[in-house]
Amino acid sequence: MPEVFIDGKRFEYEGEQRLLQFIQDQGMEVPFFCYHPSLSAPANCRQCLVKVGQPVKDRETGEYELDENGERVIRWFPKLQTSCNTMISDGMVVHTQETDDLVKRAQKDTLEFILINHPLDCPICDQAGECPLQIQTYKYGPEGSRFEVKKVHKPKRIQLGPRVILDAERCINCTRCVRFTDEVSKTHQLTITSRGDKNYPITAPDREFDDAYSLNTVDICPVGALTSADFRFKARVWEMNQTPSIDITNAKGTNIDIWTRDNLVLRITPRYNEAVNDHWMPDEGREAYRLFNENRVSRPHQKIDNEQVKSSWNNAFATVAEQLEGVDKKDVLLIGSSHASVEENYILSKLSSLLGYNEPVFTSHTEKGKGDGFLLTDDLAPNANGCRLLGFNEVDNSKLSGLAEKAKVVLLLNDNLVDREVLSEDQLNNTFVVSFSTNHSQTSKTADLVIPITCIAEHAASYVNIDGRIQRSFPAKETKYTNRRLDFEMNEGRLDRYGTNFDNWVTEENKVDCLPFWIVASKLADQLGVDGFDYGNGREIMEEISSTLAPFEGVSYARMDEESGIVLDQEKTTVKS
Amino acid sequence: MSTVDWKNYEPVLIPNIKDIHKIDVYRKNGGYEALKSVLTDKKKWADQKSVIEEVKSANIRGRGGAGFNAGLKWSFMPPADGGPRYLACNGDESEPGTFKDRKIFEYNPHVFIEGALIAAYAMEITSIYVYIRGEYKAYIQMMEKAIQDAYDAGMIGKNIFGSDFSVDFYVHSGAGAYICGEETSMLESLEGKRGYPRVKPPFPAQKGLWGRPTTINNIETLSHVTSVINRGADWFKSIGAENHPGPILYGISGHVNRPGVYELPSGVPVFDLINDVAQGMRNGKKLKAVIPGGSSTPVVRADQLDGVTMDSDSLREVGTMLGTAGMVVMDEDTDMVDMLWRITHFYHHESCGQCTPCREGTGWLEKVMLKIKNGEGEIKDLDLLLDITTQMEGRTICALADAAAWPVRHTITRFRDEFEARCKKSVHAVA
Repeated sequence: MPEVFIDGKRFEYEGEQRLLQFIQDQGMEVPFFCYHPSLSAPANCRQCLVKVGQPVKDRETGEYELDENGERVIRWFPKLQTSCNTMISDGMVVHTQETDDLVKRAQKDTLEFILINHPLDCPICDQAGECPLQIQTYKYGPEGSRFEVKKVHKPKRIQLGPRVILDAERCINCTRCVRFTDEVSKTHQLTITSRGDKNYPITAPDREFDDAYSLNTVDICPVGALTSADFRFKARVWEMNQTPSIDITNAKGTNIDIWTRDNLVLRITPRYNEAVNDHWMPDEGREAYRLFNENRVSRPHQKIDNEQVKSSWNNAFATVAEQLEGVDKKDVLLIGSSHASVEENYILSKLSSLLGYNEPVFTSHTEKGKGDGFLLTDDLAPNANGCRLLGFNEVDNSKLSGLAEKAKVVLLLNDNLVDREVLSEDQLNNTFVVSFSTNHSQTSKTADLVIPITCIAEHAASYVNIDGRIQRSFPAKETKYTNRRLDFEMNEGRLDRYGTNFDNWVTEENKVDCLPFWIVASKLADQLGVDGFDYGNGREIMEEISSTLAPFEGVSYARMDEESGIVLDQEKTTVKS
Repeated sequence: MSTVDWKNYEPVLIPNIKDIHKIDVYRKNGGYEALKSVLTDKKKWADQKSVIEEVKSANIRGRGGAGFNAGLKWSFMPPADGGPRYLACNGDESEPGTFKDRKIFEYNPHVFIEGALIAAYAMEITSIYVYIRGEYKAYIQMMEKAIQDAYDAGMIGKNIFGSDFSVDFYVHSGAGAYICGEETSMLESLEGKRGYPRVKPPFPAQKGLWGRPTTINNIETLSHVTSVINRGADWFKSIGAENHPGPILYGISGHVNRPGVYELPSGVPVFDLINDVAQGMRNGKKLKAVIPGGSSTPVVRADQLDGVTMDSDSLREVGTMLGTAGMVVMDEDTDMVDMLWRITHFYHHESCGQCTPCREGTGWLEKVMLKIKNGEGEIKDLDLLLDITTQMEGRTICALADAAAWPVRHTITRFRDEFEARCKKSVHAVA
């Protein structure tokens, strides 16, 4: 196998590899700004300079030439090489800043150059705390500045498009944003304008940067030049908790991170998953963060005299039991949801079989033309495939409205059917509708009883994407009944780990009074006198699902975490018992 | 060192013939005979390779400044695969002090067109682009007319001279960026993109214009090809300095009595060029310094120039380069601080901004130079300038950073007393 020597250590490698990426993959480090693993390597920041040499081979024998000590004779490149666009070749010898003073010096010099015209306004810059320039300056930069003349001034606060704002002075001209629009989103909306130290990225005159993926440029900007119009000035990154999750605005299953502070979701960023979304996500998915904070159903709501009023949990369960006991079993309709997780839908179907109701039905939430062949799909719900694999009856909208009209009691799992005009208010006049909802909507307003359930940001649950890949979420926000320090699934932020109770924000109003659907179902089962229906969390439910339903065989949270999701065999079907 | 007999040299690129820019006059004086010969005289020129070999053995060292053997460069082109191949002729000539290609455009365009056509034939090229500096508006029009005349006369187009060689010839105007004279950013510019130099490898011969094999030659280099084919490689090699043979278009400017473009053999003594060719210093002043080949080549003090000739070897001995042979002559009244500031201003204005050391370094150099020029500099600023040049050199994609750094480094080291005299006296007690 071909070999390469980096800082005196021998490594084996296969295939074509960029030196910088290879060094990173071995857990070592070379500073860089313009390189991005999913973009081309223009080698323009000149930060990743290393010393590179090749062993000298005897032309006739093809053997390596040896010096008097028996070591290979190395022919060094006359200049330092940028490791980002240097391809590894057999026998290559590399010295990074760890073992070569000239390399160390060169990297420090480049950082000095980058910093001379950079505003150094870290205290008011949104990027501070997650800024490659800041981090690498601390590690590799010069201590002071020798720049005693005037900095270049460039435009600030330019609204490039509806979602992205540019501060040209902070820009270090790495061209990542330009290359993103050229190579990934392919809208070619950005270019560099002007020359030399006056240049900065911008759109063509009178054009907006309204790319459906524009906010990715904010993520990959290695400084605070591009900021999100929505998120900027809202929070410092070190005050937030970062929790892995899944995008719920379409069926692609884009991997995301949910950023919270004081139990409010403040932003959503993409999380790398090579098999699903690489490093990217559509802007639409990021705007979904509001769903987790705003307009949430907190405490059960009951319709009294056509007006929804807050009710108690006990009363809510008693009311459901009362309604169900009074009607014939075939007059009860259970509606599953492609907007809810596999676990929630499974619990609904379990409830129906234990109580002897018909198997739940669901409709998919598809709008033709919404998809773009990249990360947007026509299917606007995250889990239609999960419902299908659970063996739910998929019905079309007219069939569903017919069924609902006939039913006496409808148990509706989190799907805004009235808002989507699948059902109308009039159709439900003679039906008692229990809606298990995360957010207030036209649908929940129509319901006779609304029971609040946790959203994806508050529970661990799994979703099956359009390609049959099952992936899961983690709880990011506390509810009234959970505690970050006691829930092992919840991520700890810097303040949780190092701060006292008084360092962290704790606003009780930000915690929603809701329960996971499986807890709600367990309590209902209790009320209805059904035994053995007791689930504490999604992990337990998934264990039961994987041991009983063929498509989910072998699926566990541990495997999903380890393998970044598991592709299910969609040919297998759930046999209804 | 044998002196070059330049006094009896008869110019071939810019001969003393009235209206040579007209195609009829050019043809009457033996024009397009070289092209006809390589295309039709199969006894003399068996195939394309024989043309490349002749040019290679003539050792025409690239007149754009890098001095690379043109024929050798041609031989790097991969074998033809039926797809398009390009010749890009570099007439972006933007280096301060350089104005030789302009002379060819206006005075004798057909000698260049003929050379380019021979090159295209030798490398089996399908399209020729001539990239001309945007400010050369009048010369662009002249070139367009000359190319049209050549098309009309059947020198360009389909089946030239009845052979199976066909080629197209296009003029492309630059838009005012110095960096587009760098060969790979010129290709970007030709493709309609921002003039950012490309990372090499891949070299243009492998992946050039639109990803196809491309050779880039200077205008003067290609013009010499015509005379090499007409008169033979041995004639070319017999002229001028051994290591850098052939005639050169010297562009002499500055404080001399008769500035201009002169075609003379390489290796003419610098003092001969100033005193005889350019007829001496203006107003009888004393010579102070010479920049031998465009603003990026290091300046040389007059006292270093004894016996120095205009060829790469001799100039290397005094720490400078031949470059484009655009010689800037400065007399004793020249303010070296002002001169250097103006050069740093130019490179600051022209850096494309792609690589960090050049983008930031050129601006820093100019700002510190301005401070010194205004009498506000300190001695430590001179060392800072030298430090900045060290940080820039050899760490960028193209050579603009080096071109910007060299004049600073060498002007300061060679005229340090003048710079120190302009600086504020140190206020710090030494002991």
